Amino acid sequence: MHRPKVIIGLLGIDQHEVGAIAVAGLLRDAGMEVIYAGRYNTPASIISMAADEDADIIGISCHSWEYLEYVPELMRMIETDQLDMSVVLGGSIITTTDAAAMRQVGVAGIYGPDSGPDRMVNELHAIAASRQSRLRASMRSP
Amino acid sequence: MGTQSRSGIGLKEFYSAADVGASGSAGACELPGVYPFTRGRARPAQAAAGWIHRELSGEGDPARSNAQLKYLIGIGQTGVDVIGDSPTQSMLDADHPLVRHSVGTQGVSLCYLSDYVELFRGIPIDRISVSNSVNSLFALCGIMGAADAFGVPLKKLRGSVLQAPLFAADASYACGMPVTLMSRLSVDSMAYCAQHLPRFHSYVEDTYFFSETGLDGIEEMALGFVEIRHLVRQLLSRQVPIDSFAPRIAILVNCSMDFFEEIAKIRATRRIYARMMKEEFGAQDPRSMSAVITSHTSGLTLTAQQPINNVVRGTLQGLALALAGVQAMEISAFDEGFRTPSEEAHLVGIRTQQVISIESGVAKVADPLGGSYYVEALTDAMEARIVDMVRDIESAGDPVSLSESGYFRSILNRASERHYRNISSGSQQVVGVNCHTMPPEKDHLLRDVAEQKIAPYRQRIEAVKRMRLERDTAAVKQALRQVRSQAQSADINLIPVVYAAMRQGSSMGEVAGALRMAYGAPYDPHGALAADF
Repeated sequence: MHRPKVIIGLLGIDQHEVGAIAVAGLLRDAGMEVIYAGRYNTPASIISMAADEDADIIGISCHSWEYLEYVPELMRMIETDQLDMSVVLGGSIITTTDAAAMRQVGVAGIYGPDSGPDRMVNELHAIAASRQSRLRASMRSP
Repeated sequence: MGTQSRSGIGLKEFYSAADVGASGSAGACELPGVYPFTRGRARPAQAAAGWIHRELSGEGDPARSNAQLKYLIGIGQTGVDVIGDSPTQSMLDADHPLVRHSVGTQGVSLCYLSDYVELFRGIPIDRISVSNSVNSLFALCGIMGAADAFGVPLKKLRGSVLQAPLFAADASYACGMPVTLMSRLSVDSMAYCAQHLPRFHSYVEDTYFFSETGLDGIEEMALGFVEIRHLVRQLLSRQVPIDSFAPRIAILVNCSMDFFEEIAKIRATRRIYARMMKEEFGAQDPRSMSAVITSHTSGLTLTAQQPINNVVRGTLQGLALALAGVQAMEISAFDEGFRTPSEEAHLVGIRTQQVISIESGVAKVADPLGGSYYVEALTDAMEARIVDMVRDIESAGDPVSLSESGYFRSILNRASERHYRNISSGSQQVVGVNCHTMPPEKDHLLRDVAEQKIAPYRQRIEAVKRMRLERDTAAVKQALRQVRSQAQSADINLIPVVYAAMRQGSSMGEVAGALRMAYGAPYDPHGALAADF
């Protein structure tokens, strides 16, 4: 089975890393490869890291409302450049209404303090597996 | 494994006279207001008006925050606590390219000296204590600038600044400065205040913000004491007399959910502090030995689920603080799980304090829990564990080197992971999160308030750019060169030169950049701006 590769980071000057560090640990324990991008990323910098690392998933920790502006920017850049990257979000500040708006712009998963680690781990496995099967399919096709 | 307190102290089924004084403590015969001050700084615990009631505040630009401060004073707040927005806390001006989505959303944007004048206009800063949760260097210069503008003599200036040189970068307030520089700026401002601002608390040891990563009570106070001891030693090595600055040190503690342990933690902290100041640092003035305790209820214990439960949590934590006898209190807003505090949440925080102080009667006597077998035994146990951990950390190396090498960061990160594992595994029960949960569609009480947002204050970006053009550019450049050159000599107190540069119209971002350059760090930690002086 493919070992999912996940980049975990924060955007802008959101410095509240508590959740990001904890989630990175949980995902490592669940057997995933986690690259911790830490603070001060921009949509461009985190996309470039994901491309260099051939990551399956970009996970953004959100503890500042900056994400409401940055995540749609990030999704537009992924779409414009036709990249096969999935974006998931985590954080207690993501309200139900905002979660719906984020799904509208193409975010693949949203996790809050009540999501439970099992659901997050299972969904990330599924997201990574479907990317891997798309990659295999595109290699087979001429 | 039997029952344990939050910090892992093993608990018995009950406590009796046999448990008090077992560790050699004189708990049973101590008196409030008397060395070692375990039972309180003074008798009664506070002045007639009670502890200072305040709420952390600030949003948008200085004018909007000024209105907010006046609202809070209007509903009975007896002190002021201002926090900067995330750019200000990171020492980045509002027009820095990385901060365009965060200006004014999580606090107030403060870039120039004139911003502080606008922020404090009409606030009686000689009578009401202004606590600044903004970087101490700029907050100090800012309030001095406001005092100057309003004709308040520096000698009368009340209030406080936080000093957090060892932990800021590792606990959400990194600003691209080397620890040695941060440490020097703390010592410079304390030495300066000891001479010029005798009533100003130039050093609040803020154990609140870094313990919000998930530290337990023992770790919180051990790290706090490591920083206090480091800064006191630095000042003493500069020949600043201990009794000239120690009375103006305060400790801002966290109050989490283990009711009796939090009370014991505060009592133990006062005893450790008194003994350390007297026996180790040679203080003679009793005010140097009796720690001023200010407090903040824990935001980390608040939940996004069922936000009304946070009002109950705030009440219990506020009650613990009142019983412990603190000098000032802030109750974290019930909507903290989602947002910068709303006006409604501020009101509930202040009203909670008022109900505790006016109606409950718990503050009628000093240290009402003194002599409780359990509280005295827990106080002794907390004292012993905190002292042991301080010794362990100090034996690992010099605190500045430990900070630079990531030693503290690893303690904080481990605590974060532990906190989330305890909740996700269910080993720590949190109502509404991993027990007694409610489906989201039914969880609507207070949710409308929690869902409201403060939009980025983009007009502020243009205002800050405009102010840059309205200055005497040559004079600003000259002032910034002065800051950089004086910072290169370790034996000059930097407060006067920084204050002069701010008066000349230099911005926080520029001054911070000049200081970084003097220490061989990049002018802009994010590489987007270059120095032009």
